[in-house]
Amino acid sequence: MTEDQVISIGSTQNQTNGSNLPLAKKKRNLPGNPDPEAEVIALSPKTLMATNRFLCEICGKGFQRDQNLQLHRRGHNLPWKLKQRTSKEVRKRVYVCPEKTCVHNHPSRALGDLTGIKKHFCRKHGEKKWKCDKCSKRYAVQSDWKAHSKTCGTREYKCDCGTIFSRRDSFITHRAFCDALAEETARITAASHMSNHAAAINYHFIGAAPPLGPTSMNQHFPSIFKSIPTTNNNVENMDPTPMRSQGLSLWIPQDPNHIQDSMPKNLQEIGYIHHDPIINNSCNNNPPPNYQSNWDFGNKISSNHELINNSIPSSNLKEISVPSLFSTQHQSYVQSTASMSATALLQKAAQIGANTTDPSFLGNFGMKSSSHDEMSNISVQNGLYGTSDDHHVENNSMNDLCAMNGQIQMYPSSKRRRTQNDQEINGGEITRDFLGVGIQSICHPSSINGWI
Amino acid sequence: MDTLFRLVSLQSDHQSFNSSTTSSSSRSSKQNPYHQIQNDVEECFNLFMDDDDFSSSSRHYNPNYTPTPPTTTTTTGSTTPPHAPLDEFSCLTGNWATEILTETAKAIANRNSARVQQLMWMLNEMGSPYGDIDQKLASYFLQALFSRMTDSGERTYRTLIDASEKTCSFESTRKTVLKFQEVSPWTMFGHVACNGAIMEAFEGESKLHIIDISNTYCTQWPTLFEAIATRADETPHLRLTTVMSGGTAAVQKVMKEIGSRMEKFARLMGVPFKFNVIHHAGDLSELNLSELDIKDDEALAINCVGALHSVTTLSNRREYLLSIFKKMNPRIVTIVEEEADLDVGHDGFEFVSGFQECLRWFRVYFEALDESFPRTNNERLMLERAAGRAIMDLVACPPEKSVERRDTALRWSHRLQSSGFNPFSFNEEVCDDVRALLRRYKEGWSMAQCSDSAGIFLFWKDMPVVWASAWKP
Repeated sequence: MTEDQVISIGSTQNQTNGSNLPLAKKKRNLPGNPDPEAEVIALSPKTLMATNRFLCEICGKGFQRDQNLQLHRRGHNLPWKLKQRTSKEVRKRVYVCPEKTCVHNHPSRALGDLTGIKKHFCRKHGEKKWKCDKCSKRYAVQSDWKAHSKTCGTREYKCDCGTIFSRRDSFITHRAFCDALAEETARITAASHMSNHAAAINYHFIGAAPPLGPTSMNQHFPSIFKSIPTTNNNVENMDPTPMRSQGLSLWIPQDPNHIQDSMPKNLQEIGYIHHDPIINNSCNNNPPPNYQSNWDFGNKISSNHELINNSIPSSNLKEISVPSLFSTQHQSYVQSTASMSATALLQKAAQIGANTTDPSFLGNFGMKSSSHDEMSNISVQNGLYGTSDDHHVENNSMNDLCAMNGQIQMYPSSKRRRTQNDQEINGGEITRDFLGVGIQSICHPSSINGWI
Repeated sequence: MDTLFRLVSLQSDHQSFNSSTTSSSSRSSKQNPYHQIQNDVEECFNLFMDDDDFSSSSRHYNPNYTPTPPTTTTTTGSTTPPHAPLDEFSCLTGNWATEILTETAKAIANRNSARVQQLMWMLNEMGSPYGDIDQKLASYFLQALFSRMTDSGERTYRTLIDASEKTCSFESTRKTVLKFQEVSPWTMFGHVACNGAIMEAFEGESKLHIIDISNTYCTQWPTLFEAIATRADETPHLRLTTVMSGGTAAVQKVMKEIGSRMEKFARLMGVPFKFNVIHHAGDLSELNLSELDIKDDEALAINCVGALHSVTTLSNRREYLLSIFKKMNPRIVTIVEEEADLDVGHDGFEFVSGFQECLRWFRVYFEALDESFPRTNNERLMLERAAGRAIMDLVACPPEKSVERRDTALRWSHRLQSSGFNPFSFNEEVCDDVRALLRRYKEGWSMAQCSDSAGIFLFWKDMPVVWASAWKP
């Protein structure tokens, strides 16, 4: 590397993390800060753009580095000598871009990698000499062009309807008009709505159980879940008539990321199965009409990165183990639901809660981030139902459960419930329960035990 | 029909005539009608007399006008011109439709109704919308000429439009438009070029408004959404106002569905988007500016794809429309038009030359369609029928009502320049994108800068067919 025009500018202020990252499509990732002790080198444009400056005198082949040329000279039986790295400590070098308008011109934004600064200069300020044959994209750096050519045209775009395209533009145009899109976006909108109002919805769903009459009580476990989506539908659609039997697909673990949003609500419903269509009023979203169908497209979501990134919260959800939880108990549980009083319901739920072996059951109630820390919280929630653990509870989960408690007590009185539901539980608003006791007092750990 | 048979039956002494009229095989549409050369003309005519199953157009063809007796003699008292106007049909291979149709146009201009009848009869025999290109041209042009002769152009046009609307739906429209784009760069050419120019003009703007007057049903915009979404800086807000001419119910329904798809797609792309569609009945130059809801804080682009030629050619309405555009103060105006001079004159020479240009143009179009689509294809049939309606409009409808009078790039450029616009050339990248686009299609397509006007041409077999250009005030 010739250093004819090296100017040592002095130290930089910040750390550097090395090479310049290629420009991302949307936002650029800024390289890190260079080492403050590093020596700042400013190379001339000519130096930066130069390639293959080391020429073999025999065959004229050019090499970027002297080392490579020396190794090549061996082939010609020419005397060759590899330069050894100097023994003394070489001060770390970082390089600035000579282009004055460039952000990397300043030493604090210097790049630590020589190849990096060369590529950066070529890419940003150089002429784009390399052009892809297939798609006309242009590149200033040959390696970029080569890398692109390898993948250009080989990439296939698959629409959710199944059609495959080799051209991105026809794929995009098709996608915009594809019927598969219409269904997906309905689901996305639902998901985003859910994520925004998940906490509120949770409470609103309490009691908004599907109308399980005595006949349905005897049905197999899946039927419970069958009715849950209908409730979702009810709430979302403001439709007071609950719909039944929408299908099991909801509970097929298609995509954990997707299911998570559905879990909290549904679990609450499981806990408090009671028919109450009036809950619907509390939902203040604008539900997409195809909300129900959204659940069936879990697979589609997983196949679409954009959708996942944009609208589905990325909290991890434990695998759906709840079904197993209920399978053991649901028979007895459901049979008695219809005729239970509020207190009885609570006690029943408490039993379930106490018996639960999977912390994720209650951990999913209205909680976005189900980290392991919350497992301890769950036991507190269990305590709400019968045990007297005294763990630290996260506000969030407590609010959820407190609200649920409040809801539970409201069962007999649908009117009351409506008022209750109208209030947002988020943000610490107090929800009054049936007994007129404030949630806060109930939710206080010590009082929980007393209450139970 | 009998009259016509008698008319032609006299020419038995002309071998050429025999060969040309022994089109008994015209029923089998794919074959060259002239392979079978029969000397017995009468015999083959008898065959025809039983055959009523002609193509759609001239079923009801009746010689409404009595043939004027020509000065030349006849042998059986009919009024056939005995000389050989039909000699030129001796080599009726290749582009016979062009020849016969041109002759027909000339005969109409000369008010030679006998000859017109004769020729139309031949066209009727040989034409078919399901045949090869000549047969298709013969069929559609015959229909239009007949309507012209009977002064029923507007009515027939209306009927054709109504018939097409019955089957018009979002599904069918989407299928046709997208399939066409898949097999041919005819419309994509303009889209790519215009989107490139629009992106360049909108650089750095955060609030965008596009007024879209085109006949491609918003298929231009998904790729623009992508370009907007992947812009290096913050994604700007986009407002799209689509102007559709003709307020038919079917089109309104289609646009409604398209609008909702566009909105969904923009959401998917992460582009803040608002969509509005205006259905404008009547001439485009009568567009009401206030309807467009132009806001001062937005960067405006006007995109016209196949729209300008729908403005009537009379009373300087086209210039007027361009002055309206100027008043809106857009950042950029993008124009895509088909390169043809389709102003069919009213009478005489103007009519013939305009008619010939129409013939040339639609032949090119049909050929391009024929080579792009697979052999039997419903979408191509839809497009051909639309072309047939355009032919009807051009040949049989009065100029003040015509919406298909395309004009050349040169004349459009003059109009735009005199309206105060300056050409804005497409940058290298855009041109590269267009070339790359053309590479993805079958052989025969190429592009080049216009030599005598602004913009770029799409060439089909070295004939310019589509013109795309950008203009700045």
